[in-house]
Amino acid sequence: MSIDYAGFRRELEEFARKSCPSEIRAVVAAGQKITKREYQAWQKILNAQGWGAPSWPAEVGGTGWDIRQRLIFEEVMADNDCPPLYHHGLGHIGPVIIRFGTPEQKARFLPRILDGSDWWCQGYSEPGSGSDLASLSTSARLDGGEWVINGQKIWTSHAHEASMIYMLVRTSREAKKQEGISLILVPMDAPGVTVRPIRTIDGWHHLNEVFFEEVRVRADNLVGEVGKGWTCAKYLLERERLPPANVARLELLRRQVVRLVEEAATAARGRRDFSGLHHKLLLCEAEAKGARVMMAQATDDLIHQRALGVQPSAIKMTCADVAQRLTTIALDAVGPEAAHRFLADADPEVPAATWIQNYMFTRARTIAGGTSEVQRNVIANELLGA
Amino acid sequence: MSTSFPSLFPGMLLDAASRYAQDHAAVPELPGDPVRELGWTATLVPEEAGGVGGSLADLASIVEGLATHGMHLPVVETCAVVPLLLQAAAPEVGNRWLGAVAEGSAQLAPLIALSAMPEEMALRARHLDIGYELNGFVQGVDVSLPATHWLVPAEVDGEAAIFLVDAERIGVPVARYRTMEGRRGADFALARLTVPQGSCIARGGQARNALAAASDAALLLTAVDTVAALAALTQQTLGHLKERRQFGVALSTFQVLRHRVADMYVKYLGAKGLTIHCFHAHEQKGSDLRRSLRLAKVSLAETARGCAEAAIQMHGGMGLSEEVLATRLAQRLIASEFRYGDRLLHAAHLKASQGDAGPSSLSNLARSAQ
Repeated sequence: MSIDYAGFRRELEEFARKSCPSEIRAVVAAGQKITKREYQAWQKILNAQGWGAPSWPAEVGGTGWDIRQRLIFEEVMADNDCPPLYHHGLGHIGPVIIRFGTPEQKARFLPRILDGSDWWCQGYSEPGSGSDLASLSTSARLDGGEWVINGQKIWTSHAHEASMIYMLVRTSREAKKQEGISLILVPMDAPGVTVRPIRTIDGWHHLNEVFFEEVRVRADNLVGEVGKGWTCAKYLLERERLPPANVARLELLRRQVVRLVEEAATAARGRRDFSGLHHKLLLCEAEAKGARVMMAQATDDLIHQRALGVQPSAIKMTCADVAQRLTTIALDAVGPEAAHRFLADADPEVPAATWIQNYMFTRARTIAGGTSEVQRNVIANELLGA
Repeated sequence: MSTSFPSLFPGMLLDAASRYAQDHAAVPELPGDPVRELGWTATLVPEEAGGVGGSLADLASIVEGLATHGMHLPVVETCAVVPLLLQAAAPEVGNRWLGAVAEGSAQLAPLIALSAMPEEMALRARHLDIGYELNGFVQGVDVSLPATHWLVPAEVDGEAAIFLVDAERIGVPVARYRTMEGRRGADFALARLTVPQGSCIARGGQARNALAAASDAALLLTAVDTVAALAALTQQTLGHLKERRQFGVALSTFQVLRHRVADMYVKYLGAKGLTIHCFHAHEQKGSDLRRSLRLAKVSLAETARGCAEAAIQMHGGMGLSEEVLATRLAQRLIASEFRYGDRLLHAAHLKASQGDAGPSSLSNLARSAQ
């Protein structure tokens, strides 16, 4: 059956305009921090429409859309200032449970991701294990039919507002380092879980350290086989190597920064020279168009089951680079007005101050999810051999 | 490695151009007139006028094949600009000349500066009682191949016009030189040059539209040239890093070089994506075609310069020798920045047409959020 993509796009556009509340769209359009409040409200609206999980198969409550439809969904939502999908549940652990979970686990966890009742975070990195994730040491041992977890996770986004964490733990120290790892699901309110906020450079609270001290969870909270957590983690990474939102959100960010620069230029009344920023904006606009085609081509390769090669790395590097340059332009535009009023929370009358935070926040784009240096290694290995 | 560098416009035309370029790239003086002998001038000429009735994508295959091997031939000028300008003429005149172009019996070339878009007219024409008088100076015209006739855009009474003038009447150039990438260029000075009434083949809207179409085509094909040269340059650099040994090991073992060439590759993919976007906009006659082309010009210049400099640096001393293909490709990339308007010119146009950011202002949006 051929899909009417143009008709699909029109349907989404109409829905986005009609159904996304204006107060949520205003937060997105202004480039303000999107919190659980906006994510959750929007998730409920999408779920009521039957679009709660664009990347899931229909039999578990997803839309069953193909990758091109997902790309169109992300573009339309970004074009209409709708929030992105909250990725930890829908994009990360949900698909892993669908692939590796038992029927009982699917029934327990998936509906609560779809309707937004469970809010997930990811426990991967540890103080001694960043890019070298397989060296992690947080442990889980079986005791009286329960798993008992001890250790520490770090850089855990949203842990302070999450109800569940999916985490990689070491269940054996005897096997090769990747083979002794398991994936386990832990309620954040379990006794022994402590969350400590990390003060980050952007002034927002999203990162945390999470400590586990003799935390006990049901034995059937382990996903897949014991010792095969690395397989689940790799599956997750493979699926998420080509996140359709990356490129779609870039154009939204560019439009925001264009407006910001225009406003700053008007306010400056010729006292500041904006020509350099205008030129940089043109380069970002051009590269975003190029990235969109790169994404479309990779999408086409996925649909036709051709190897993706290094395309995901190239797309990630390009999107991260353009996003950083855009927020740097924003920083230049608003700096004099906003640098001395860094925390917008303290004075909501200075929306420009949010862009100082956005600039700082965007530094993470070349670090999280595989640093740009790691991506360059991946590309160089492909082109030159390891 | 070839799977990492798939062709932009694959097919028989690409293969033919590529083969020709491979065989002749090292020949200092080209024999004859390959563009016409190979029939490429017929590509864009409509079938009813005796041509192939092909598309810009067909010409793009030829451009890609030549650029990949660092071969210079004025394909954009003789195979795209010429037929597109001739299509502005009344059918009985236009078709006759288009037929002659297709079969190679007339050798037409545009009297347009390589650095300017065809629609930017350097010459002025004055209507006389009989015929016209042409005045002005055109700098940096491609003269790689012989021409029997010139197509001359000029402004008459504030409107665009296109003249077709035989080469003898235009006369010899006032200066000849080598361009930075190795083409042959020349300057022409036209002072009170009278031409017959019939040499004006189009005026007004017809001429303006044809000049705009020729400008779009020239920008598009130059972008293809740049992307093809970028692919070849990156591949040459990869080969050099693998083969060249220093301190007892291949250069490709040094992480700083691996990362630099990875950056080149990512930039090449972005440039390719942007060029494909422009082709789509051209095929769909999209309203943002000119904006996309200008953006491509600005962005590709940045990419091309960066990659050219990186490749020269990574080739070390060899990067300074014109005998090395990578060096010639680097020269080509930088020279292409200045073809059909440089990045500063196109950026000026883009900035002058700003204002697509939407009606709502940021502070209004932020206020409504509160």
